[in-house]
Amino acid sequence: MFLSKIWFILIALVSAIAATFALVAPRPAVQKLAALEGQRLDRAEYAAEQMFKVDAHKWIDRVSKLGRDAILSESLDAASRGSGEYSVIHRTIQDRFRTLIPDLSTGGIDEIVAVDNKGRVIARVGSDNDKEYGDYIPGVEVVADALRGYMSDDAWGVNGRLERVAGAPVLSKTKDRIVGAIYVAAETGPALVERLKKNLDVDVALLLRGKVVASSRPVGQLDGLPDLIAQHSEDIASLKRTPALPLEAGQDKLLVVAAPFPGQASEQQAYYALIGVQPAKTDLAALLANVRASDLKWGNFPWVPLVLLTFAMIAIGLVLQRLEVEEPLKKLRRELQRLASGDISRIDDVKYSGRIGGLAREVNAAVEHFTLGPAGRPEPGAKAAGAPMGPAGGKTFDLPPPAPSFGAPPPSPAFPPPPPVVPSFSAPPPPPAFPPPPPSLPPPLPNLAPQHTPAPFSAAAVAAAGGAVSAAPAIAVKGAPWNQLPPSALGNEEDAERQMPDGEATRVVPYDEHEEEEAHFKHVFDDFIEAKRACGESLAGLTQAKFLQKLRDNKATLVEKHGCRTVRFNVYIKDGKAALKATPVRE
Amino acid sequence: MVSRISSPAARLTLAVALALAFGPSAARAGTVKGTVKLPDSARSTRLYQGYWRLENGNVPVQNSGGAKLETAVVLENVNGAHPPPARTVTVEIGGLDARPRLVVVGPGSVIEIKNTGKVRLNLSTPEKPSVVPPEYLPAGGTRRQKFDSIGGFAIRDADYPHIMISVLVVDSPYYATVDEKGGFSIPSVPDGKANLKVWTRGKWAAQQEVDTGSKEELTVRVSASGQKENAEKEAAE
Repeated sequence: MFLSKIWFILIALVSAIAATFALVAPRPAVQKLAALEGQRLDRAEYAAEQMFKVDAHKWIDRVSKLGRDAILSESLDAASRGSGEYSVIHRTIQDRFRTLIPDLSTGGIDEIVAVDNKGRVIARVGSDNDKEYGDYIPGVEVVADALRGYMSDDAWGVNGRLERVAGAPVLSKTKDRIVGAIYVAAETGPALVERLKKNLDVDVALLLRGKVVASSRPVGQLDGLPDLIAQHSEDIASLKRTPALPLEAGQDKLLVVAAPFPGQASEQQAYYALIGVQPAKTDLAALLANVRASDLKWGNFPWVPLVLLTFAMIAIGLVLQRLEVEEPLKKLRRELQRLASGDISRIDDVKYSGRIGGLAREVNAAVEHFTLGPAGRPEPGAKAAGAPMGPAGGKTFDLPPPAPSFGAPPPSPAFPPPPPVVPSFSAPPPPPAFPPPPPSLPPPLPNLAPQHTPAPFSAAAVAAAGGAVSAAPAIAVKGAPWNQLPPSALGNEEDAERQMPDGEATRVVPYDEHEEEEAHFKHVFDDFIEAKRACGESLAGLTQAKFLQKLRDNKATLVEKHGCRTVRFNVYIKDGKAALKATPVRE
Repeated sequence: MVSRISSPAARLTLAVALALAFGPSAARAGTVKGTVKLPDSARSTRLYQGYWRLENGNVPVQNSGGAKLETAVVLENVNGAHPPPARTVTVEIGGLDARPRLVVVGPGSVIEIKNTGKVRLNLSTPEKPSVVPPEYLPAGGTRRQKFDSIGGFAIRDADYPHIMISVLVVDSPYYATVDEKGGFSIPSVPDGKANLKVWTRGKWAAQQEVDTGSKEELTVRVSASGQKENAEKEAAE
């Protein structure tokens, strides 16, 4: 059963490992997915940054192109020189803007402003206050840059709105001096968010001064985003971006990468945040919840290998069980049946291992105990008298052939007194159920009678002849008067059943000492006849009455001589001839 | 003939004369000169950069100013130095620009900010809000703020962050602004050890110990990282 145990332990270990693997295996995958989502957001952030750069360059190009317009140039030149009427110049420039860009909103423009070379606003278009002009804005960095000759861009956070700005100088008609500047401002709000989401396939949010000013996710879901970004202001200052940050948004678990807008908006906590979704949970419920019916289809799930593997494991377990348990049990059962049939030869317990081997050894011990007595070895006196030993060293005695030598002398007096008798002896079988003698006759035991004992019955009895063999101590007494079996040794029917090794009931012998003994003698006679026939011996002169009488006489002699209660006889074949053994029974 | 000076009054007069004649020469003074080398990024006249800044290709660009106009060198811990007297300095903010952008004053001075533009301003010292708390300054309005503690303060507008006024409150009269090339000169500095600090664009950008008696010209390099480190140090304080 060693391999069976190992197999069950192995299956348990494999099951535990499989369960652990099933629960743990998704975690690296989820972590990998989170990392991949973070990388996707990183790439999206890089793409967004490049998009902003391209946008800024486009705006600069557009403004620069506006600045090359002749009418605008002449008008601003006149304004810078103070050579015209401001109101006229103002209207001229406004009209020119509207002519060049008929629909500002289509172009994504919020406002266009033209200033003269002192930074004074000459005209505005698109803003709410486009009728106002004349104010100075030379300090605005884009304007100051443009008046120095630079084309540049910036981002502003003004009145709660985020604007991207591009400015360019306006050169004189002769292109030798700067006569003014133009800048355009484009609101960076929902339109930009939608464009980013469309191009980058991520959710986008824009933040200004700790508030989400535009987002592609539902309003209110990103309330924690400004604080989250503020906690990573150092990352933003050094890396110009945050790592992928987890964010709880209701039931959604998000990942956020945020980066600052450039320009002076960066001083106003202006960020754009790209938002992805964290991978699902990895607990068992979440895993099962994510299983789809299609996942379990034949094509998607390795049912065949799984079923084969399962059956293979079951088959291996059954084979091991059969090899280690059932087969040895069958063998042992056959051995026990052999014992029960009267062949009390020793079980070859070497063939059995483990507990069954232990059981076989216990049976052997019981047999030896029964056949040899508690001492487990022959008495020296018995050996001196030439008392033959049974196969296991037990005390059984060969009887001379009944016909010619039935008048054998009494048994050898050399037998020592039997040891104390232990009760609980299995009952001998009733005659009808006795197994056929020849095939199951016990192996040849040392024959005591012919050579060494003058007695017609040297002394012989078969313990538990033909009955069940019990592990309970059985006793065969040597050299003492054997005259009876104790009633308790026979027991009742239930006891007899209980005494069977595998619980099977066998023959139940009703206890009547005389009747039982007569039945035994008749049975021995039948066995003897059978044995002689099997050996081809002549049956002439052999009658049942004489045979039984001889058995009674021998029994009486042995009982008287050894003080035993009774004697059990057994038939076996020795040197091709039927022979009898007598086994004294003390109690 | 030499007449003897015998009267006590005459002797006292002589002693005072000697002290006046030789006293200053005992604590000699010199000029601390040098150059502040600002990082390349400080050459820009802009405080905040966008993605692009391109030349127009036709007319040469004008690169006057830059961070040097907002840079000052201050000597601290000078032997026997006394703070400059308190005064009132007026700064005008118009056209979304402050003039002057840098003010160096003694403790107790008052900065008077006039909004001459057409937009409302929201001025404060974000890094030290207690010095100049956030407060709206309407167009045409004036705000006065007294500076008692020694240090550097950057007053900014919340809506127009490029508007920045640097206020340096110093404990000695030994300071100077740098010229176009970054040069500075601080005259009449008593000999000895002193701590030279450079303020540029709203931050202490560098500091080093100098020997004011040395005749060598100093070169103070300001690195971009140094600017950051000093800014962090200042924020920690």
